[in-house]
Amino acid sequence: MNDMDDARLMAYLDGELAPAERTEVEQALAGDPELRSRLDAQGRLRERLAAHYGPVAEEEVPERFRQMLGGSTDNVVDLADARERRRRPLWQTAAALAATLVIGFFVGRLVTVESGPVALRGAEMVASGGLAEALDTQLASAPSPDAGARIGVTFARTDGSLCRTFEGPALAGLACRADSGWQIVMTTAREGAEAGEYRQAGSTNALVLQTAQDLMAGEPLDAEAERRARDSGWRPIPRAR
Amino acid sequence: MQAFERELLTLLPRLRRFARALARDAADADDLTQVALERALKGRDSWQPGTKLDAWMMRIMRNCWIDEVRSRTRRAQTFAPEEAGQSVGSDADRDIELQAEMRDVDRAMNALPPEQREAVALVLVEGLAYREAADLLDIPIGTLTSRLTRGRQALAQMLEAA
Repeated sequence: MNDMDDARLMAYLDGELAPAERTEVEQALAGDPELRSRLDAQGRLRERLAAHYGPVAEEEVPERFRQMLGGSTDNVVDLADARERRRRPLWQTAAALAATLVIGFFVGRLVTVESGPVALRGAEMVASGGLAEALDTQLASAPSPDAGARIGVTFARTDGSLCRTFEGPALAGLACRADSGWQIVMTTAREGAEAGEYRQAGSTNALVLQTAQDLMAGEPLDAEAERRARDSGWRPIPRAR
Repeated sequence: MQAFERELLTLLPRLRRFARALARDAADADDLTQVALERALKGRDSWQPGTKLDAWMMRIMRNCWIDEVRSRTRRAQTFAPEEAGQSVGSDADRDIELQAEMRDVDRAMNALPPEQREAVALVLVEGLAYREAADLLDIPIGTLTSRLTRGRQALAQMLEAA
């Protein structure tokens, strides 16, 4: 078997696949005992490494390292130390606040633009323009390069309503189908919009996926179910399916 | 003790585990931990508060390890002709011996090329996300996953060959 297959299988094992890709791998596994046994072999390797190296982190840390870090400054409270202690939480709060403001700014600006991807309808935030069209028509299995947004995964919530994750030029997020249209459940500035800086690993996209995971009832829709849902106008899926 | 040292102290158990996954044996691992701590204390000004100390520290440890691997390779090359001469005639025996040793996780990890080994250590032992590991090693994510894949294929093969 080739590297590509193994790479996917391992990414599956490491939890590095998007829900839709997970589904694909799981379907492949169901019908392929050989693939299954390769996955099992990798699972055993993972456990073996964990069993071998895990206990090291439980060991008592050797005294010489404690001394290196304790050293001569022990119990001496100096100004820099005190200042640092006061400053750090503030720093983190400021960073978190800034992130929120960026998102707020994006959304705030976009709602005032007629053709933007997000519009306010009453108190609800709904998809509009190219994003609404993409959510209505695009299939994750057959993405169109001209679409206003790329669709990630489609799934049903516990109430049966359908939700889809999307990634547009500026925003990524999650929308669920309601009578008023595609309600925006969450959006975030798209990952990769600010390259260069050290980025917290996959923070934005992971946020969308996490939200999807939290809302999802059962498994994401496969390609066939996604097509059927579109053709039926995104009607809620009855719970006992 | 200052905040910086306090945080390092809480990271120590994990750092020792990471060192163990990189170095040849337990003694080498603690030597590596010591060298990395020294370098970190000396270079503490290059750490920016608010960024992740664990990633910064692991990067230092990995660099210390690579330095050591490189100098060891240079030493090994200097003596290579002699070693090659000694092993002539006992190839079959050596292979059998080698295979027996390969069952052990340490030996199998030691047999990996450094770039595969560090990928395995970061993702499988330390549990970093692909993105984090790739950033830490300054390599594209595709390079990380291909090294990781080859490393795991090799490990599985060595460890399952009973």
